[in-house]
Parts: sequence; structure tokens; C-alpha cells
Amino acid sequence: MTRVTNVMRLQLMNRQSYVIVPLLVLGGAALLALAIFLLVPYDGPKYAVMAAAAPLWAFLVVGVQALTMSFPFSQALGATRRDFHIGTLLTAALTAAMLALIYLVIALLEKATNGWGVNGYFATPGLDGDAPLAAFASYFVLAMLWFLIGYWSSAVLKRWGLVVLLNVLVGLAIALTVAALLLVRFGAMQAVAEWVVAQGALGLDAWGLLLVVVLAASSYLTLRRITQ
Amino acid sequence: MVDDSKALFLQIAERVEDSIVDGSLAEDSQAPSTNELAAFYRINPATAAKGIALLVDKGVLHKRRGIGMFVAPGARRALIEERRAAFASTYLEPLAAEARKLGLDVDELIQLLKERFSERTKA
Amino acid sequence: MTSIIEVKHLTKRYRTATALDDVSLALDEGKIYGLLGRNGAGKTTLMSILTAQNFATSGRVRVFGEDPYENAGVLGRLCFVRENQKYPERATPPQAFRTASYFYPNWNQRLAERLVEEFQLPTDRPIQRLSRGQLSAVGIVIALAARADVTFFDEPYLGLDAVARQVFYDRLIEDYAESPRTIVLSSHLIDEVANLLEHVIVLDRGRVVIDAAADDIRGSAFNIVGDATAVAAFAVGKQVLRKQTLGNVTSVVLKGQVSESDKVRLARSGVEVAPVSLQQFIVSSAAQPDKGDAWGTDGPPAKVEARQLVRNGGAR
Repeated sequence: MTRVTNVMRLQLMNRQSYVIVPLLVLGGAALLALAIFLLVPYDGPKYAVMAAAAPLWAFLVVGVQALTMSFPFSQALGATRRDFHIGTLLTAALTAAMLALIYLVIALLEKATNGWGVNGYFATPGLDGDAPLAAFASYFVLAMLWFLIGYWSSAVLKRWGLVVLLNVLVGLAIALTVAALLLVRFGAMQAVAEWVVAQGALGLDAWGLLLVVVLAASSYLTLRRITQ
Repeated sequence: MVDDSKALFLQIAERVEDSIVDGSLAEDSQAPSTNELAAFYRINPATAAKGIALLVDKGVLHKRRGIGMFVAPGARRALIEERRAAFASTYLEPLAAEARKLGLDVDELIQLLKERFSERTKA
Repeated sequence: MTSIIEVKHLTKRYRTATALDDVSLALDEGKIYGLLGRNGAGKTTLMSILTAQNFATSGRVRVFGEDPYENAGVLGRLCFVRENQKYPERATPPQAFRTASYFYPNWNQRLAERLVEEFQLPTDRPIQRLSRGQLSAVGIVIALAARADVTFFDEPYLGLDAVARQVFYDRLIEDYAESPRTIVLSSHLIDEVANLLEHVIVLDRGRVVIDAAADDIRGSAFNIVGDATAVAAFAVGKQVLRKQTLGNVTSVVLKGQVSESDKVRLARSGVEVAPVSLQQFIVSSAAQPDKGDAWGTDGPPAKVEARQLVRNGGAR
């Protein structure tokens, strides 16, 4: 356990990327969203989900750096790949949860103030009757997803090189596009949309979490044979 | 300070012997420790230890438990004897060879040596 | 002495090159090893595989009797800071040192602070923005202060000036004397590190060409310079490691020791005898690139060369 916490301490050397940058972006995005709410003449509830998700982007960068910079350092200090992986994911989960908690607090504030008095909602995902747990879970899963996309891509890059990474990414993009086209072609889009709504925020979060687990496992398998 | 013709530990042993012969390291006084020698000559401590061990085997140094290495009584005398015995091959052979190369004969060589000695005494 | 590192028939092949070619070694506990050889000889690859940062194509590696891969008990006792080591984004030297101290129970903070001062390392700047020499210094501080059971140094002096390099060598000897441990020092500045080493391993194009105690190497070859005929006559039957000719003067490096009677004999024929430094020895031994087992101890090619030398000498 000490070995895993050592890795977490190693990762948290970089507090700026893990904590400070996301918070700064969050602050900026919140102000921007508020300004837009004030300018929009519409009186109904307004949601700025995209703006709210912006700070989570920072986790993509953190995920990349965790592997390209911190991993080599952990190797120099004799950490095993397994301990590095667990410690790194725990660090990501910890900071993602912290950020999600901040979103939750903001969401509660929004509710209490009726959308800052202008019926504008920034941190509240307009799903599931705006349950606080849904807000927390959504932002947590989203941050983790971003982190793991960065972490996993860097692992693939380090292990097999740029060509393979690009092939994998392009392949995924093509597969998704083809799937979407097929759905449209067979008129199944309606059904898919209904399914998504039926899942609700928590249901989607659960699917997201599944993806997180898959990415985490596949990153670990990739990481096991990375060389410097 | 180090030359490459022989093993380092031999050279270290010779350095210590040098200071015994020239009197800077007196009999019965404490010899430098392995680590001091290593740090001073910037060499591996194991090499310094080997040099010290050689001197212990030779009876030049002896160990006083818990204190360290000391110069054995009579070590200076013994070392001077040893060096005198080796003097001819160490110094005179190369001298003779170079003299021959330069065409100096024995008498000229002796004359030069005499001059050197008297200069030294004057100074 | 117990071997703490055992390497058997280790081979590492990349798509286009062979980095290590059937390497077998045993390293003892508590010695300072020199891992010497030219750039690209396979030094870094060997250290990477020993620390499970890279993988063998074939062969076997044991550290403390076990496979180091994913072995926390083994890896935790090793420290290998690379020549181009990466550090976490924005980390300053003191932050990196503090992190390293968590990983090593024997971390010597006093030594770390002293080295920071002696290397004049900036403490408020991210490591990424340090100069090449300062980056090397950060690696040295971590590797020395870690006091790991086995410490690997990978060309640790790159970019350091002479004064800073001496600081490194001095502190290395000092701290090693205080707390003996196994140190593997990879270097191509052979003369500078020669006296620090107890044992020397030389790699050349992925093969071990010398694996011997430093004391045994020193004085294991000598250089004679003089009239070509006289030199050639003396070299008959001896292993010639290197031969150079300038007009009628030949210089050869011969394997073995020169006896007192040889010295007299050589002096009489006007041939000078000079010692061969570790660096010269290694360079001489490596200077026969295309003769198969170039540094072999039983050297048929060398004997051929000695005979040729006689013939050439006789023809003049």
C-alpha cells in the first residue's frame, strides 16, 4: 500500500495540472456562462452543459502527462508498473471526485438561487430531475473518461508508436461513423434516442463507468510492456 | 598522481611507504584510514583497503583493535633496506641506458653525479 | 562474495540492430562497477533490462536471485536514473527529491542538500527548464542520495563541467565508503572514472569484451616504442593489441606484463617501455574491428599480426 501511495504522491507533485488548472478553467467557464445567461432574452431554464464540461478537458492533458512524464520517473525510482497504474488511477479518481464535488455544490447553489436569479443553469445536468447524485456521478465519470483517453492513448503511443495510435483512433472514428450511418439508414435513430433518455443520467454514467473500466484495463495491459 | 604501469593498490601501498621512509609518517603513529586514502587519492575504497592489507601482510602496519592502523616499529628501517636493494634496477638501469644512447661514458656519468650531489649539498 | 545480479546469454534484438548479443555476467554485492564502451555499445539497454524497464529477446536476468519484472521486492532496491530522464511536468528539483525520498528508506537528505549546493542547482525552476548539466545534476542527486542497494548511473556527467564532475566523483567515493553498496557506473570517459572502479565490464557492439577486476587490467598490457626491427623482434609470440608506425619507429601495445629482465633488454636496444592506461587498453583492444573475436584472449589474429610485423621489419 505504501508503494501505491508513493505513486500518488509522485503524481500529486503536479498539483497544478491535477487541481489548479481545472479549477481555473471552471471559474472562467462559470463566469462566461453567467454572462451569456444575462444576455439571452429567453426566460425559461437555460443550461450550459458544454461550458460546464470544459474544465474536464484538463484531465485529458493530465492523463497524457501521467504516462509520458510521471511514468518514466516512477520507473527510475523502482516502482512496478502495477503499483504505478493503481496509484495513478487512484490519484485521478481522487481529483476527479474532488472536482465533481465542487460541481455538486455549484448545482445545489443554482437550485437554491433559481439559476442565479436568471434561470440559468451551469453545473446542473438537465437530466433525472436534477438529482444531486446524478450531477456528481456525471462529472466524475466525464473527468475519468477524459483522463483515461489521454492515459490510454499515450500508452498506445509509447508502446507501438504514432502510426499504430493514429490507425486505432481513425479506426474507431470510422467504426462509430459507420454505426451512426447504419442507424440512420435503418431508421433506428429514434429508438436510440429513446433508449438514451430511458437510461437517465445515472444509467449513462454507469455505461461511462464501464467504458472507464475497459480503458483502465486496456491501458494496464499496454503499460505492462512499455519500454523507455 | 596515479601511473598506469601497476595495480592501483600497489601504488597506494607505495605512497604510504614513501611517507614512512621520508619520516612524515612516524613509527608508532596512526596511519591514514582506508576511507581517508580513498577520498584523498580519489580511488575506490576497496582498492585503498587492498593497499593497506598489503602493508599489514608485510608487517609495515599493524592493527590496533578499535583504533585503527599504526606504523610498526622498525618499519622505516626495513623499508629503506628494501629500497636500497631495488635501487640499482629501478634507477641505475634506465640511467645507464639513456647515458649509452647519448654516448656518455662511465667517467662522464660519475662526474655528472658528483656535480649533482655537491650542488645539492651547497643548496 | 555473493552475486546479486546474474545475466545469462542475454540477447536483445531490435528490428534492425542487435543491442545485446549473448551477454553473460555476474555482479557481486558492494562493488563499484564500470560499465564501459562506446555510445551504442548496449550499456543503457543492459541497465534497462536489469531494471525491468526493457525486455530481453532471449536469455535470463536475475537480480537478488529473482526476476526483476514487476517484482516490487527487487525493483524497490534499485535506482536507475536515465541520461535523458523525464520528470513530472513542472516539478522542481526539490519536489523531485522529496518524491524520491518516499521511495527509498535510506534516503540521505543531508547529502542531497549538500549536492544541491555544490552543483548550484536552482531550486525554484521546473526541471524541464534546466540546462543539460543541471539535468544531469538532478539525476546524480537522486541516485546518490537514494542509497539504493544497486544504483545505476547512465553517463551521469553529461553537460557537467570539470568541477561538477569532480564533485560527483568525490561524493560518490565518500558516500560509498560510508554506506557500501553496488554501483554500476556507465561511462565512456574511461580515464576519469578508472580509479573509482573495482571491476570493469566493457561492452562492444553488444558483446562483453572485458570483464575483469580493475587491478588485473592495470598492468595487463604495456606499450613499447622504438626501432621497428627491435620492436618486432620483441613482439614475436606475444599478443599485439595495437600497432602504429611512424617512419621507422613502431609503437605496439602488447598484452601481458613486462618483466624486469625484459625491461633491461629493451632499454639496451633503445626501446622505450610505457604503461598503458585503462582507456588505452580498452581502445587498443577495440581497435581490431573486423577480425571476429577482436578482443579475444587467445588471439590468433594478434599472433598473425606479430608475425607480419617481423616480416615487415625484416624487409626494411
